[in-house]
Amino acid sequence: MANKPQKQNKVKASQIFGDYIVMLIAPCIVSVMYYGTRAAWVVLVSILSAVICDMAASLILRKNFSFRDTSNVFIGVAIAMMMPAGVPFYVPAVASAAAVLTAKIPFGGSHKAPFVPAAAGFAIASVCFKEQVFNYTESTADKLLGAQSLGSLLANGNSVQLNLGNTFDILVGNISGPMGTGCGILMLVCCCYLFVRRKSALLATAGFIGACVVYAMLFPRINASVFSSIVLELSAGSLLFGAVFLITDPATLPKGGISRVIYGAVCGIICMMMRAVGTYEETVCFAILFTNGFSPVIEAVLNYFGSLSLTKGKGALKNE
Amino acid sequence: MSNNISFKDVFIKGAVIYNPVLIQLVGLCPVVAASTTLARAAILSLILCFELTLTCVIASAFLKKTPRWVRVPLYLIIGIAVICPILWFIETQTLMNLSLGMKIYLPMIAVNSMTAVHCEQFAVKNSVKLSFYDAAAVSIGASIIFVIVGAVRELLGNSTLGGMPVNLPVTFKGMALPFGCLIMLGFMAAGLKAYVSRRYPDFVEDREPEVKPEPVADASDEMTEVEVFDEFWEEEAKEEAPEEIVEENTQQPEESEKKKEEHSFGSVEEIEEFFKSLGLDVGTKGDEQ
Repeated sequence: MANKPQKQNKVKASQIFGDYIVMLIAPCIVSVMYYGTRAAWVVLVSILSAVICDMAASLILRKNFSFRDTSNVFIGVAIAMMMPAGVPFYVPAVASAAAVLTAKIPFGGSHKAPFVPAAAGFAIASVCFKEQVFNYTESTADKLLGAQSLGSLLANGNSVQLNLGNTFDILVGNISGPMGTGCGILMLVCCCYLFVRRKSALLATAGFIGACVVYAMLFPRINASVFSSIVLELSAGSLLFGAVFLITDPATLPKGGISRVIYGAVCGIICMMMRAVGTYEETVCFAILFTNGFSPVIEAVLNYFGSLSLTKGKGALKNE
Repeated sequence: MSNNISFKDVFIKGAVIYNPVLIQLVGLCPVVAASTTLARAAILSLILCFELTLTCVIASAFLKKTPRWVRVPLYLIIGIAVICPILWFIETQTLMNLSLGMKIYLPMIAVNSMTAVHCEQFAVKNSVKLSFYDAAAVSIGASIIFVIVGAVRELLGNSTLGGMPVNLPVTFKGMALPFGCLIMLGFMAAGLKAYVSRRYPDFVEDREPEVKPEPVADASDEMTEVEVFDEFWEEEAKEEAPEEIVEENTQQPEESEKKKEEHSFGSVEEIEEFFKSLGLDVGTKGDEQ
């Protein structure tokens, strides 16, 4: 049983990142709708920075650079989506450069990186430019909460009385926050696309969101109903975006199905705990980076216990 | 080792090829935690130079015939004995005000692995002169890294250099934190390794054979994500897989078992003969009966 050959569906790396880019088109369009051309410029600067850094690194390391490596575009767009629209241009540029130079190139490319490059880039930007990254004052006149994001609202223990109108606003992302991650409905559509293309990757997403929901039910940060707590926690910041785009990174996901679910659940619990006690409003990237380090451990532990149970089963059959 | 070795040879080996911080990765704690500014890094470097050189010279002069289990604690005692008067002098006789964060890490230089490694591996096996050369080279090599790291961290993290404000358009606060320092050390180590492998190729032990670079696109296409759990959704494929294994395994079971025995332990007869030659009577036939 232990040597059972698994039938494997091999997906090319370029196709995986191509799928991500296709999925990211919709959030880009929504962010341009909400924040105007400023959002498009942020995305462009971020992509250019990632591509130029990869080209420069390839030149220094004497490797051939190919535009077919779409991971740079994914890194650039993903980082831009997690930024506010009014962020100075150097912030996404530095974040993308940091993602490529510290988390991608030293490990031999996106397909070997032990940490999700986009999450690493955003985490570095959050630490270095905290004021700029969490400043959501751009074009907030027609937003539900003005310049205040859901994350800061929950951090302060405040709540929103949910009704049909503002729930819809929250679900379509018409609130202050990261420019491309607030639209929950779009994230659901992206999940459906991912389900069609890479079903197994969604196991980590399911584990992650499940853990976040359970945590929000058990330990609500606000004095409101369980439903409100869950909706507000899931809609705040880049939680859903991270669950769909970052945690499903092919290089860092464990290989087994149960491992993926546990990996996602651990990441979700850490993310919610960081939200509860941490100083940063946006904790998904930190939680993902933290869990990336334990990804091989989770798989090894599960393999160990899996082999034990298989051995016991074999022995039981012999005795019979 | 002969005494004709010049300081230059020892310096190149101790400070560049086997740089303690970047190549041997010893002494990382002080550089990451304490060298956040140029002034701190300079103080740390001076104390390291003084302590390491003096400890190595004393170890080479007096501890050659001392048993090893006594020597190692003695290095630490000598190091502390050297550092304590320096700290007392700085605090009482100068106007320099050491911050609490700095004070914690200065005594730790005495128990640094750099001191123990160079005393044990070099000083007690060589003459006093060579030990002095080695300690000086190593401490200078480490000090250069300390100072560079301190200056860059202060410049990028605080927009100052030596306490003087510098007008930079952007300040990277992360550089003042340990993770920024570790990232910087990583890049510096990569740069130094690349330099050493080109300038001194004979000293590179783990050098890989040169391979022609392949196009990046092909390399990325080689990567495949293993979608093991797709079988979860395909029940038919699940049922077919075990049958294939059974067919493969039942083709020649006896031969495969024999091969296993030969590869792992040798044949049963050989094992019996081996035990008989040792005077032990191990009868496998009895077990069969």
